[in-house]
Amino acid sequence: MNKLLIVDDEVEICEFLKSFFEDRDFKVAVANNGAHALEKVATFQPEVVLLDIQMPGMDGLQTLKKIKEMYPKVKVIMVTAVETQEKIEEAMRLGADNYITKPLSLEYLEKDVKDKIDILAKGF
Amino acid sequence: MPTKTDSPNTPKVDYQEVLRDVARSMVRLKRPDRLLKLITRFIDRQFGLAHASLLVFDPKKEHYVFVNSKGTKRLPMGLVKFDSDHPVVQWFSGSKKRLPFQKDFLLLSDVKKMLSRAEFRLATNSKAGQLEGIQKTMQNLKVELLVPGYFKDSLVGLLMLGRRVNGRCFTTKEVTFFQTLANDCSMAVKTAEHNQNLVEQNQELARRLEEIERMRAKEQRTYYEIMRSLAEEVHAKEPYIFGHVSEVERLGMMTAREMGMDLSGKTKDLLSAALILHDVGKIGIPDGILCKPGQLTPEEWKVMRTHVEKGARILEPLTDFKKVREIIMAHHERFDGSGYPRGLKGAEISIEARIIGVVDSFQAIVSSRCYREGRSIDFAIHEVRNCSGAQFDPVVVDAFLKALKKELQKKGEEIPSSLIEYVTD
Repeated sequence: MNKLLIVDDEVEICEFLKSFFEDRDFKVAVANNGAHALEKVATFQPEVVLLDIQMPGMDGLQTLKKIKEMYPKVKVIMVTAVETQEKIEEAMRLGADNYITKPLSLEYLEKDVKDKIDILAKGF
Repeated sequence: MPTKTDSPNTPKVDYQEVLRDVARSMVRLKRPDRLLKLITRFIDRQFGLAHASLLVFDPKKEHYVFVNSKGTKRLPMGLVKFDSDHPVVQWFSGSKKRLPFQKDFLLLSDVKKMLSRAEFRLATNSKAGQLEGIQKTMQNLKVELLVPGYFKDSLVGLLMLGRRVNGRCFTTKEVTFFQTLANDCSMAVKTAEHNQNLVEQNQELARRLEEIERMRAKEQRTYYEIMRSLAEEVHAKEPYIFGHVSEVERLGMMTAREMGMDLSGKTKDLLSAALILHDVGKIGIPDGILCKPGQLTPEEWKVMRTHVEKGARILEPLTDFKKVREIIMAHHERFDGSGYPRGLKGAEISIEARIIGVVDSFQAIVSSRCYREGRSIDFAIHEVRNCSGAQFDPVVVDAFLKALKKELQKKGEEIPSSLIEYVTD
């Protein structure tokens, strides 16, 4: 079963997306901050991480950097509320695999996560 | 499909009363947010749903987003959007011929039924794909009932209702009620949008008006400057020089101040303009008359006197100085009613015109003419005093002479005998 980690400081968003991906036969874990996310990446070992950029404390960009340093194979999709070009560029530079702007289309989100799984399956 | 009758256990709702409340709130609340919040909360509590959510079109972003959600399984705000090509949006807004009101909603159970029908299963038409997309979306969002809200045939939003906690179906009556509510919400949203647009348009209009006003004021200023140089030109043309127009202005302002007139802002500008421009109409008098060194014939006087009306006409474009025209029209009126053009008397003549009458005459007497030297101040004072009460307003004459005496004292000049008796306070 494919494993997905959802990182967002808004509990409602985490719960909604968890239920959405569980309905699609994913094994889902959630984290509400950057530190928690790093822990989960180590213990839960997800294939894909949905990572919110704007979080209090360690923000999405810092979290992304650490995840990619320690687990370069994990696919990370950044989720941004406000599309600031600088942050997106910074995220891509730090190795993000894609970014999605909120509000998002659920159909697109699902497709993108599955694409990342496919890429992993092909051994990239 | 909704059951035909209300279940006896359904909580009693006075739908009409709720709809009236909503209508009242729509009038009261300028921003629709609070009304929408009230509505979702009401539905959630009254019907015991997993969630009641409202999806509304954002015209700036051109997509639909959730603006409100209530209930134990409420949807997160700001996460999900529906583009206009989304199957749910297409279903309710895409089809040219809209479903009749009583069928214009979607229950998840109906969607499932339709999909299970052979014609949909086998058909490769877009409707089957659309229905599949709708079913998926309703399942994703845990929605049992989709109710569209329209305003003038455009899909403003969707009321999305989760399943009932008690597992019961929605009744026809309830669905009709939701449809009415959804359309009410749409009207509230659209009205607020229109209001906002109006506010923005008004601001833009106000900005432009300000710009126009600025340009107009500048134009008025320019015209005034032209008139001023014209007035100076007129004085230079005459064979005897009345002194610079600014001397008449100085004496006039001095007199007004002595009289205790309010000389703040616009009043001062008006009086100053009238003093400077009072003879501008002479530009329209033929040089043969205007520059004639000797006495004018009665015919020539008739022409000369038209400078009053001519001046007023020249100043017509100066809309800011309407009062100036009236003053100029009256500056040759006499206190006893023997002046021209209208023969006004006393207080019928504006105070500004009465002041001009005195200082203009005084300045004419003391100015040098080409065929004679200007008379002495003493002589001019005598003349002015002699005509006080007849040609001139005695109050103005009094103030003028007082002001003149004060000025001479200040300069340390000799006080003419005619002024010695004048008491200055």
